[in-house]
Amino acid sequence: MITVELIKQIRRPRAWIVFGVLAGVAVIVTLIIGLTSASTPERIGNWGSVVPNSSGFTMGLIGLNALLLFLIPLAVAIFAGESVAGEAGWGTLRYLLARPVSRERILTSKAVVAALFSLAAVAVVVVAGVLSGLVAFGWHPLSVLDLQHATAFSTGQSTVSPVAALGRLGLAVVVVSGTMLSTFAFAFFCSTLTDRAFSAVAGGVLFGLVSRSLDNIPGLHTLTPWLPLTDKGTDVWNGIFFRPTDWSGLPHLALVQGLYAAVLLSIAAVVFHRRDVLS
Amino acid sequence: MIGVEWTKQFRRTRTYATLGIVAGFPLVLSVALAATGSGQVEYVGDVPLVMVPRTSGFSVPIIALASTMKFFLPLAVSLFAGEAVAGEAGWGSLRYVLARPVSRTRVLWSKASVAALLSGAAVATLAVAGVVVGILCFGWHPLYVIDGGASSPGHPVAATLSPAVLLGELGLSTLYVTAGMASIFAVAFFLSTTTRRPLVAVAGGVGLTIISRVFNADYLPGVSVVNNYMPNNDIDLWNHLFVRPLPTEGIPHFLILQAVYFVVFMGLAQWWFTRKDILD
Repeated sequence: MITVELIKQIRRPRAWIVFGVLAGVAVIVTLIIGLTSASTPERIGNWGSVVPNSSGFTMGLIGLNALLLFLIPLAVAIFAGESVAGEAGWGTLRYLLARPVSRERILTSKAVVAALFSLAAVAVVVVAGVLSGLVAFGWHPLSVLDLQHATAFSTGQSTVSPVAALGRLGLAVVVVSGTMLSTFAFAFFCSTLTDRAFSAVAGGVLFGLVSRSLDNIPGLHTLTPWLPLTDKGTDVWNGIFFRPTDWSGLPHLALVQGLYAAVLLSIAAVVFHRRDVLS
Repeated sequence: MIGVEWTKQFRRTRTYATLGIVAGFPLVLSVALAATGSGQVEYVGDVPLVMVPRTSGFSVPIIALASTMKFFLPLAVSLFAGEAVAGEAGWGSLRYVLARPVSRTRVLWSKASVAALLSGAAVATLAVAGVVVGILCFGWHPLYVIDGGASSPGHPVAATLSPAVLLGELGLSTLYVTAGMASIFAVAFFLSTTTRRPLVAVAGGVGLTIISRVFNADYLPGVSVVNNYMPNNDIDLWNHLFVRPLPTEGIPHFLILQAVYFVVFMGLAQWWFTRKDILD
C-alpha cells in the first residue's frame, strides 16, 4: 500500500514543484549572499551566528533558518493537506476504498508517504543550501558562534570538521522535521474532513500562524510552552551546532510535538474510519 | 459597469466574512491586552515602538496594523484581487460577462476598481475597528511612545502624542499600508486573469509576501541588495510616524516601488486579458 501511494505521489508534478521552489529559494539566498555580502555575519535563530564565506556548510544553516518561518511549514501543509483531500477532490477516494484493504491501512499509507515527503522537503532545503554553499565558499570546517554564551573570556565559538558538520546538519533536518510534526498532524486531520485540498493546506498554515500569534501576545506567556509552533520551539535545532551541544529544549519539544501528533492523528483516524465517503 | 460589479461582490458572503474577520482582529487583540496585567510594556514593529497599551486606546490600532500588515492583510487583499476574474471563470460565467456589449478593458477595470475598493476597505476596517474598540477599552488618552531603536539605557528618546495627532498619523499610516498592498493586489489580479482557479491567484499573492519575507534584510542581512526591491519589506516604515523627530527615509522609495509593481502587473493583466481565449 505504501509503495502504491509513494509511486502515485512521486509521479505528480506538485511534489516536484514544491521541492523546486524550496531548493530554488535556498540557492538564490546563497547566490545573493555570495555575490554581495559574503563576509557579513548572519544570525541563526536567536543566539547563533555564522560568517557565510567561512565555509559552504553555513548556507545549510542560513537556508534552514530563513525558510523555517513560512516556506517549510507551507510545504509540510501542502503534502499533509493534499494527501486525503486531494484524492477526494479528484473523486477517486471511493474507488481507493473499494479495494479490499482496511481504511486504517489506506490512511496509514497516506500518512507515511506524506510524512516522507515532508521530511524530504526539509532535507531539500539543507541539501540545496549546502551544495550551493560548497560551490560558493568551499569545503571548510564549520564555525558557529553562540552569542548567548559569548563572554569576554570565551567567544562561544564551536568549530567542527566538514564531515561532522554534515552529520550535524543531518541531525538538524531530523529535529526541524520534528518541529513540523504538529503542523503536519493538523493539516492531515483537516485533510480527512474536507474534499477541498486547498482548505486543508490553508488550515495547516493558519494553525502555525495562530500559534505564533498567541506566542507573541505578552499576557499569554503561561501558554507558550504548550503551543505547537513557537519562536523558542523552532530554535531548538540551533543547539546542535553549539559547544557544548545544547540538547536542553529537545525533550520538551518532543513531548509537545508528540502529544499534538498523537491526538490529531488519532482524531483523523476516527473521522476517516466513520466518514461517509461520497467522493 | 462598476455599479454592476459592485452589487455582485456586495451580495457575496465572502466579502462580509473577510471584512468581519478583519474587524474581529482588534477585538481579540483588545481582549488579550485587557487580560494582561496593567502596565505591561509592548514592543511594536522593528523600530521598535515601546508603549504601554493600556494607557491609551490608540495603541490598539497601531498594534493591529503592525501585526497584520505582513500576512493577514495581504491575504485579504489577495482574496479580493485573486477572485475578481478567476472567480467568474471558475463559475463558468466569464463568457457571459464578456458577451455584453462592453469592451474587455472596461470589464477588467470595473473588476479591478471594485476589488481595489474592497481591499482598501479591508485596511480601513482594521484601523477604524481598532480605534473604536481601543477607545472603548482603554479610553481617549495621549500615548507615550519610546523610540526603542534610538534610545540607549538611561536616555530614552520618547514623545507624548495627543489624541488629535494620533488620529492624523493613524490616518496616514492606514493610507501608507493601503498603498503598500498595491504590489500584492496587482500580482494577485494579474494571476487572476491567467487562471480559472481563484485559489491559485490567491496563493500567488500570498506567496509573493512569503518570498518577500524570506528576502528581508531585517532578518537576513546578507540579502540587503534585493531588500529594497521586495514588495512587502518596507511596509513597516509607517512606524516611524510615531517617533520624534520624524524620519521619513525610505518612504518615497517604497511608494515608487509599489507604483512600479502596480503599473507593470496591471499592464500585464490588461495585455493578457484582452488577448486571452475565454473558454469559461
